Amino acid sequence: MLFENMKMAFAALRANKMRSFLTMLGIIIGIGSVISIVSIGDTMRSMFSSIYKDIGITQSYLCIGYWIDDVRESDYFTMDELSRVKEVFGDEISYIDSSAAASADARADRNRLKINFTGIDYNYQNVQPVNILYGRYLNKGDVAGRRQSAVLEAGSARRLFGTENAVGRTFRTEIYGNVHEFTVVGVYEKEMSAFQKLLMGGTDDEGEAFIPWTLLTWPNDSFYYCHLFANETMSTDELNAFYDELVSYVARMKNREKEDFYLQTALGEMDQVDSIMAGLSMAVGGIAAISLIVGGIGIMNIMLVSVTERTREIGIRKALGARTRDVLIQFLTESAILSACGGIIGILLGGGIVFAAGAVMGVTAVVRPGVILLAVSFSAVVGIFFGLYPASKAAKSDPIIALRYE
Amino acid sequence: MTEKGKLRQTVFAGAAGLKALAVRKTELPEYHTDELIRIVNLCKVYDTGAVKVIGLNNINLTIKRGEFVSIMGQSGSGKSTLMNILGCLDRPVLGHYYLDGIDIAALEPDQLSLIRNRKIGFVFQSFNLISRMSAVKNVELPMTYARVAKKKRNERAVELLERVGLGGRIHHMPNEMSGGQRQRVAIARALANNPPLILADEPTGNLDTASSFEIMELFSALHRDGATVVVVTHEENIAAFTDRIIRFQDGKIISDMKNPGPVSEGKTKNI
Repeated sequence: MLFENMKMAFAALRANKMRSFLTMLGIIIGIGSVISIVSIGDTMRSMFSSIYKDIGITQSYLCIGYWIDDVRESDYFTMDELSRVKEVFGDEISYIDSSAAASADARADRNRLKINFTGIDYNYQNVQPVNILYGRYLNKGDVAGRRQSAVLEAGSARRLFGTENAVGRTFRTEIYGNVHEFTVVGVYEKEMSAFQKLLMGGTDDEGEAFIPWTLLTWPNDSFYYCHLFANETMSTDELNAFYDELVSYVARMKNREKEDFYLQTALGEMDQVDSIMAGLSMAVGGIAAISLIVGGIGIMNIMLVSVTERTREIGIRKALGARTRDVLIQFLTESAILSACGGIIGILLGGGIVFAAGAVMGVTAVVRPGVILLAVSFSAVVGIFFGLYPASKAAKSDPIIALRYE
Repeated sequence: MTEKGKLRQTVFAGAAGLKALAVRKTELPEYHTDELIRIVNLCKVYDTGAVKVIGLNNINLTIKRGEFVSIMGQSGSGKSTLMNILGCLDRPVLGHYYLDGIDIAALEPDQLSLIRNRKIGFVFQSFNLISRMSAVKNVELPMTYARVAKKKRNERAVELLERVGLGGRIHHMPNEMSGGQRQRVAIARALANNPPLILADEPTGNLDTASSFEIMELFSALHRDGATVVVVTHEENIAAFTDRIIRFQDGKIISDMKNPGPVSEGKTKNI
């Protein structure tokens, strides 16, 4: 009987193709926009989370709280303290440094380039791998001996030396008032997605290079930050427990309260960004969902017209033995099919837009099945809800009056 | 409808209901198996707000199984009202209508639908076929509502269309057929659930004379096969086909008599 009703409904809708399509259009646009907006939001979230994975999800920065007024000299970290932290936590910390960085003009022959120097330890390659094109990475000797060795980014090498293979070449620069002459020991290449480049932005005219962190110790070998990567094998809970212990330990070491230290973690930041993005996409999706209600009203409107037009047919059917329920189901099926077809086309349209946009932007589009399920059930509810009034109007009509209707 | 009118109707309906209950409890109506229709003290009042119009005034009528009856009268005589009640499209305000022994006044709208589906085959003046359905689908419709299996339904619809002489046009749409052919489809549809009563409301009203007589001959044939046929008409030459003619005027039966000379098949040819 259900199949029968559906066939009957399809026949009725086919009889008015243009009208049926225009009615569906409301639902198509509604569902399409909800799915595309929510999925674009989801895609952005997944991109952000992959970016955080790239930059190291276990990464964190620890420093004295920015709200502390009486910052003492002892609140800064020394190299010894960093090694002590590393020793105490052992395997839990896979990398630690001072997050020292400097920006300075580099000169080689007649070329000048502003370079952002990042001070790193020799094992930074373990947590933030880069592709070494020529030469080698910084080694233990470079760091311990405070050698003026640099690993230069390929583009920077090209601009500074005219060639990517700049191993062995030297450049001069002035960092914190001291003139250094760096020898390029290696050239690396950085892989970034189009989206990542977009986010980083503006670094195109500036070069990048890694140098031993032991060179960037101004002033007096003390640092504001303790920058570390926790062991990647830790679960989120273990990671949070580790962070808690770390802050407690450092606070004890510095004779401070635990609350005086500020720990910035990639994990926390990612959660924050994620929740903002999720909220945003929900809000915009919710606004788009209003268009679904408008589509539903379109269905109700056209079903009311259809019921009036087919008053006589309803009368005939009732005279031939259709019960109130039969007529109700017939018209409900029609409105449900209208919104279901609209929903399916809307899903294809919305999904298509998302995948097309993803392909253009070079990212993997994410369309959650849950969103599709939600959109489909919403359109079904819309179809049934807005079909109910016209259908019950049809079902309740008096066969005598309906048969007399011209 | 005014508030007063509504109230009045409610009171009327209530009274009818109470009366029906009382009748059922005390004296069950005599019910003979050969009586298909039994109408007792039937009244129908239309309330148009300002005036009450008496549609039917105290009608008593019995139609036996296998009869071929015509109901005649001018427009406004009450014959359409009686037709609606006989067809279970409407319920009497007062009095009783027993169809095949069932008291119609006591039934709910959905039960009336069931009665119409199983007990009555309708043939209307304006054919009332569903225009976007083919002949065979139209004939299948009452069986759809009777939940007959699809295959059986189709077989019977084809068989019935062959019986009314439309075997070659089963897939034609109503607008591809002449009036006479459409009315034949309607008759096939009326026979679909093999109902005890065939009720035709001015079945020849939209047809030319030749088609009219063909249709009436079809009814005669059905009657000869044992069907009970009631035809509502205002044309004497149509009524002439039937065995019994009931005349209406101002909501009352003014005459009910045997047709002295029903038109037989042979006679039709001479006309």
